[in-house]
Amino acid sequence: METTNAKDFTELTCTNLMIKLKILLNKLPPGDAVAFYATREQVDNTCSPFSGQGYQVSWTATAENRYLVRIGK
Amino acid sequence: MMHVSSSTFFFCEPVTGERMRWLSGVISAAGGEGASNETGSVKIFLSGDALFSLLDARTRPGWVTLSRMPSVRITADGDVLLLQGLFDPVASGIPGIRVTGAGNGRSFWGELVFALEMDWKGTKNAAFLLCNSPYMSRVPVYMLRFLASVVEAGLHPELYCYLDGVHVLHDGQRPSEFENIGKGVSALAGETVRSCRDPWFAACSRCATARGYYQMNPGTGFCEPASCIQDIAIRPLKEILARFPGFYPVASHMGGWTVPAGCEGGGVPGLSVFITHPPYCSEWTFGGLSLAIAAAMDGIPTNVIFIEDGVYALQEIHEVPGNERIFNVQEMIAVTTDIESLSYHVHSPSLEDRGIHRTGDFPLVGKVSDGDLPRILFPSKDGPASATAMRMLFF
Repeated sequence: METTNAKDFTELTCTNLMIKLKILLNKLPPGDAVAFYATREQVDNTCSPFSGQGYQVSWTATAENRYLVRIGK
Repeated sequence: MMHVSSSTFFFCEPVTGERMRWLSGVISAAGGEGASNETGSVKIFLSGDALFSLLDARTRPGWVTLSRMPSVRITADGDVLLLQGLFDPVASGIPGIRVTGAGNGRSFWGELVFALEMDWKGTKNAAFLLCNSPYMSRVPVYMLRFLASVVEAGLHPELYCYLDGVHVLHDGQRPSEFENIGKGVSALAGETVRSCRDPWFAACSRCATARGYYQMNPGTGFCEPASCIQDIAIRPLKEILARFPGFYPVASHMGGWTVPAGCEGGGVPGLSVFITHPPYCSEWTFGGLSLAIAAAMDGIPTNVIFIEDGVYALQEIHEVPGNERIFNVQEMIAVTTDIESLSYHVHSPSLEDRGIHRTGDFPLVGKVSDGDLPRILFPSKDGPASATAMRMLFF
């Protein structure tokens, strides 16, 4: 199921997704979260490492190689 | 300690008066002028639109001065000079300029490949980073000439298609008047295999996806090539950059390298990316920054130098309007200054020429003068004998 306010980041490179997430998370108020779609490779390489930086990271599969990811402060 | 280095520059896009000013300082320094403990040889290869600068009154004095330096050798592409009607004025007008091709012994491209073999002693490969599209630009023709000479020299050719360079992928190209670049790449791949060499031809997946050459298969959730020639694999930029730690040259439409003597195969070559275009209206700034940041994240020591119109990336505060889908380059810079292998610089004379100031929000983007550029580009001058090579790419 698609979430309308989640952006589709599946076509970003891992580097550019990292940059995008750092920008978004810098602006995020405490207690809030960003939601977006990512591929398996992006989840493993780029999204998961944010959990080691004090963020809460979770994801659910919505289709083949498509995941709804949430990263919160 | 005296360091000896060998540098080569290849230019096929316009060399403006502004570029000539800072470049001649860099080239002089690479050749040993004004440096106490550095000496070296510098080879400059000019083709395409860069050749006009040999006669342009704004740039000609700079080339004349450089051509008089014993450590500097300037070579012009005679075939292109013939096409441009400049052969005689250049061949007879500037004594220090060598004109190759046009029936004068070894081809221009053969000379360039010979030079890179001298610089990168023992290298098995040579690569071309292609950022320009076929037909709108002649750079893909130069890429084919270069890589054909690489194969002739017994080296393995590598092609990295990036930004508009990925249009080379398109299957079914059929130009009425121009050389067919798609067929040229396929023929080159075939010739490479027949001569028992391995072609490594790749296109950036982000750039290919954006331009419709890499499309999602809804059944698998993975992208697949669409309307592509078979000889170029679509790969993530990360995989292309994974080649960069190798000891071999990467040529491009504007760029070069410097290789300190005795560093054969030792250490990871550094990378200096010159951002020369204004941000946003073209993909040059975003493309150059993306490549530099990805390289640095993979541990390649990387400099980004905002220079000429590239300094507009640092002027005032940029804001992306409401729903626009575009990266704010200032935000890109701000969140990547903590990457250990990455250094940002801005060229002060470029700011001064334009009457603009770097915004105060970027204290980690250091201002550099013309005199500082050689220190960044040729770190062997101040560093230990184990200094590594440096590649230079212009965006």
